[in-house]
Amino acid sequence: MSETVLVATTGRPTGSAASRRLRAEEIIPAVVYGQGMDPITISVARRDLRTALGGSAGMNTVLNLTIDGKMYPSIVKEIQRHPVRRTVSHVDFIQVNLTEEIVVAVPLRLEGEAKAVLANNGLVDPSVDSIELSTTPRNIPDEIVIDITDMTMDSIIRLSDIPLPTGVTAVGDPDTPIVTVLALRAAGGADEGGTSDEAEGAAPAGASSDEVASDEAASDDSAE
Amino acid sequence: MLMPRKVAHRKHHRGRTKGLTKGGANLAFGEYGIQVLEPGWLTARQIEAARIAMTRSIKRGGKVWINVFPDKPVTKKPAETRMGSGKGNPEFWVAVVRPGRIIFELSFPNEEQARIAMNKAIQKLPMKARVISREEQI
Repeated sequence: MSETVLVATTGRPTGSAASRRLRAEEIIPAVVYGQGMDPITISVARRDLRTALGGSAGMNTVLNLTIDGKMYPSIVKEIQRHPVRRTVSHVDFIQVNLTEEIVVAVPLRLEGEAKAVLANNGLVDPSVDSIELSTTPRNIPDEIVIDITDMTMDSIIRLSDIPLPTGVTAVGDPDTPIVTVLALRAAGGADEGGTSDEAEGAAPAGASSDEVASDEAASDDSAE
Repeated sequence: MLMPRKVAHRKHHRGRTKGLTKGGANLAFGEYGIQVLEPGWLTARQIEAARIAMTRSIKRGGKVWINVFPDKPVTKKPAETRMGSGKGNPEFWVAVVRPGRIIFELSFPNEEQARIAMNKAIQKLPMKARVISREEQI
């Protein structure tokens, strides 16, 4: 658990043009809200925010938000970014009670090398990149490490299989698959272009279609 | 190639491609993605060419997601036809993309090879694009 002080100032002008002018001065418009308090529009320096969230806990860092001399323990609820420049354009902070449990998304990290899977031409596929945990703000783990060394072609790591620190419980169905193994199509099977056409054609407009790359190259005439 | 099975209207207006993407600017599935930096139309052929370039490059052990779907029909009048007599016939399908949109995502264990594959796919696109990874930037 990490706690960091972040100084914010109130009284910023609101509106898109005023916010744009703030961003040009390396100041990020933000808001803080929470149970039993009215939302406060604030602004934080980009440099300070980067320093505050640059620790090991990342986006789950518990911040001691200092506003006009008053301390608000809070975490980042949402960060809006510019779609191309990727710079932060707005931050939502939510005030937290340090003794009450909250639900946060903690990133997953896979550790080790699944040799049995690699030997069978498989691919270890994490279904999610973070899992939701219920815990007090002081107990939020920086990351959840999953050891995949012993995975085989037919093994699935489910939510209930993940070892969690004490005081932390996972939110959601315990049978939810977290890490699975994909069997790649055998060489000499269905050609890639045709198979992907079937998979992609079934996808609705705007949806993502996915495919596993096989070792067989796509044939151009099947793609036509 | 990607195309809708059925559509409500066979012929669309051309539309505008002003501004930035409204959504789809973050990686949702894979470790790496191709983000377009200019607005434009991606034809179904270009999407397929980019996908083939990428999957051929990574050979095996990866997973590819296509985040855009060419659902907009583009019409053309036949060559040497006088103007008038109505709108032309639907010829191909495009996906409208605006700057910031992630059009492909890729999961692959080796970052260097993943970037090579995605750069090969970018060569097939009609607009500027870049490879992005999941590492956050504040």
